[in-house]
Amino acid sequence: MRILIVEDDEITAEYVRKGLMEAGHVVDLAGDGDIGLEMARTADYDALVLDRMMPKMDGIELLTELRNDGDKTPVLILSAMGEVDQKVQGLRAGGDDYLAKPYSFTELLARVEAIGRRGYPTATVTKLKVGDLKMDLLARTVNREGRNILLQQREFRLLECLMRNAGQVMTRKMLLEKVWDYHFDPQTNVIDVHISRLRSKIDKEFKTPMLHTVHGVGYRLQA
Amino acid sequence: MLRTLQKLCRNTLFRLSLLGALLFVVSLFVSLGYIYFATVSSDRRQVDKSIIKEIEGLQQLYEDEGIIPVNREIILRINSGEGLYFLRTATGLLSGNLEPGNIDKSAVELFGFVPGQRGPSFRLQEFTYSVPDSDVPDLKDRHVRAFAGYLMDGPEPEAEILVGRDVEAIMRASNRVKNAIITSSLIALVLGLISSLYVSHWFARRIDDFNRLATDVRAGYLDRRAPRDYSEDELDLLAEHLNAMLDHINTLIQAIRYAGDSIAHDLRSPLTRLLTRLESAASEIKDEKASDTLYSAAEDAAELLKTFDSVLRISRLGSGERREMLAEIDPKPVLDDIAELYEPACEDQGLSFSSFIAPNVLIRADRGLLSQAVSNLVENAIKYTPLKGAILLRAGIVRGGEFEIAVIDNGPGISAHERQRAKERFVRLDKSRTTPGSGLGLALVDAIADLHRATFVLDQGILSEFGEGLSARLVFSRAVSVRPRVNKKTMQIVG
Repeated sequence: MRILIVEDDEITAEYVRKGLMEAGHVVDLAGDGDIGLEMARTADYDALVLDRMMPKMDGIELLTELRNDGDKTPVLILSAMGEVDQKVQGLRAGGDDYLAKPYSFTELLARVEAIGRRGYPTATVTKLKVGDLKMDLLARTVNREGRNILLQQREFRLLECLMRNAGQVMTRKMLLEKVWDYHFDPQTNVIDVHISRLRSKIDKEFKTPMLHTVHGVGYRLQA
Repeated sequence: MLRTLQKLCRNTLFRLSLLGALLFVVSLFVSLGYIYFATVSSDRRQVDKSIIKEIEGLQQLYEDEGIIPVNREIILRINSGEGLYFLRTATGLLSGNLEPGNIDKSAVELFGFVPGQRGPSFRLQEFTYSVPDSDVPDLKDRHVRAFAGYLMDGPEPEAEILVGRDVEAIMRASNRVKNAIITSSLIALVLGLISSLYVSHWFARRIDDFNRLATDVRAGYLDRRAPRDYSEDELDLLAEHLNAMLDHINTLIQAIRYAGDSIAHDLRSPLTRLLTRLESAASEIKDEKASDTLYSAAEDAAELLKTFDSVLRISRLGSGERREMLAEIDPKPVLDDIAELYEPACEDQGLSFSSFIAPNVLIRADRGLLSQAVSNLVENAIKYTPLKGAILLRAGIVRGGEFEIAVIDNGPGISAHERQRAKERFVRLDKSRTTPGSGLGLALVDAIADLHRATFVLDQGILSEFGEGLSARLVFSRAVSVRPRVNKKTMQIVG
């Protein structure tokens, strides 16, 4: 993916760039909002990483300008302000995801890849398929290798989220935000327990496991 | 009516102005009374004096010369003066211009002679008399002040003598003054009452403005200001000062918020950098042991940042700015979600978890914050309840129509004297030092409760072999019960 990072803190920007490049992405850096907007307008990026607080033009302003141009490049907003209302403000301005500092690089990587791969929202899907795992979103049924799997409502949504981001690492925080709509960090391992329950239903009786734990980061569903 | 009166009596200004009016009436009464005493009443004393002088003269005459000259003297005086007299011996009336029959008092009452008593005793008498056969109304029932007594021949009385004055004119003047005093006092009282009502009403209205302002500001509307009339009176000045104070507070809050944000930005950015560096170093280093050390250093940095984050969150909640985001919500789905999130985790840790959440209630809350608060309470319970313990999440209307969310466990609990302290920031009760945590969980719950104007109570939970347990309750006072809506669709799903 080609990614633009707009961040006024050079050291952070440099490390994020290094990390993203190691993960196989092409990364450009912009030191402030003006340059960032210029670069975003001229080149075609798969994803933007915007720092919210910057001199000259801040992240939200940049994003608003960009969306007014009709540019739909997925945007991840980074901010030191982690309050939910500010998150809402960022998302309302057209951001696709919001990550509060401090973040771990793995969290950032997972989110950038998630929004970059998602691309433009396509027509509403009614069926999801990952390998031999199939999900019908209308009938709300799941089957693997033709065998029906009975899931509770939340397990269904958890699996749906993982299937929509198949091949993609989903961090615990991302799952908590997307499946439960919670924007706080639980101290206990609540997500792990839900994943292990889901895993026992979709993986236990089959030869190849699909739901993988990515150590220290999160989970990935893969065929 | 009675209630308005009670309300009025509670009004400080009404009481004060009423007291002022009463004091004014009393002083008016006293000063008018003095005028009365100095004028009308002094006239009467003058009359008494002249009567006494006359009596003393007549008595002297009697002692020196006997009854006959006294009689002559009286007749002379009747013809020349204004006095009223009569002189009577045992044989009958000697002289007089006052018929005893026309007096409204009997002789006994007048003279009250006690046989055997020594010395003449003249006593002041007040009575009315009517001039006989007079049709002139003015000559009827005229007030008389008189001294009556005996002229004594040795131990035996020889004659009854009475010397008086017609004081009708003085009495009338006196009555008029008396009435005037009473009437003017009453008028002053009524006017005072009316003015204190008016003043207190006017004042109460302006005080109400201040009270409303204070309520609004406490509710988090920091942009409200007291209305001013620019009359520069005390209340207007008070309003000006209050407004200036609120402006100042607002500036301070903005400054704190700004400082908070800047600190957050300034501190978090280098810490994030530290995290990123540690992580990237950990991934680059081949030596597994060194790499692990770096990873755990990164985790520590992350933990540090999380604590910092919580402190900032609590401060921001304390400013009350998010209160405007509260909305009427049904707490049931929110709490059901929490129950559903934590139930497996509890089971995983060998704890039994159950929840009872009443439907059909609306409370004023923010979903995110409510979730966070209850989740903190449940996590707290999970952390401290030993294996095979039980945790209960219960919510519903309790006595008094309050909505209560309770997380109850049967763990060791918190001793009564430490419960208040447990809600403070960074307070970790000694016995819990060994478990992980920053001591901010309950402080955050307290801040969230405060924002919702809910009460956060820590109390004894379920008694068990582990201890007395803990029940953490959030009590929302303004809960509304709603009628369950019978919906075909839900019925089908339930069925």
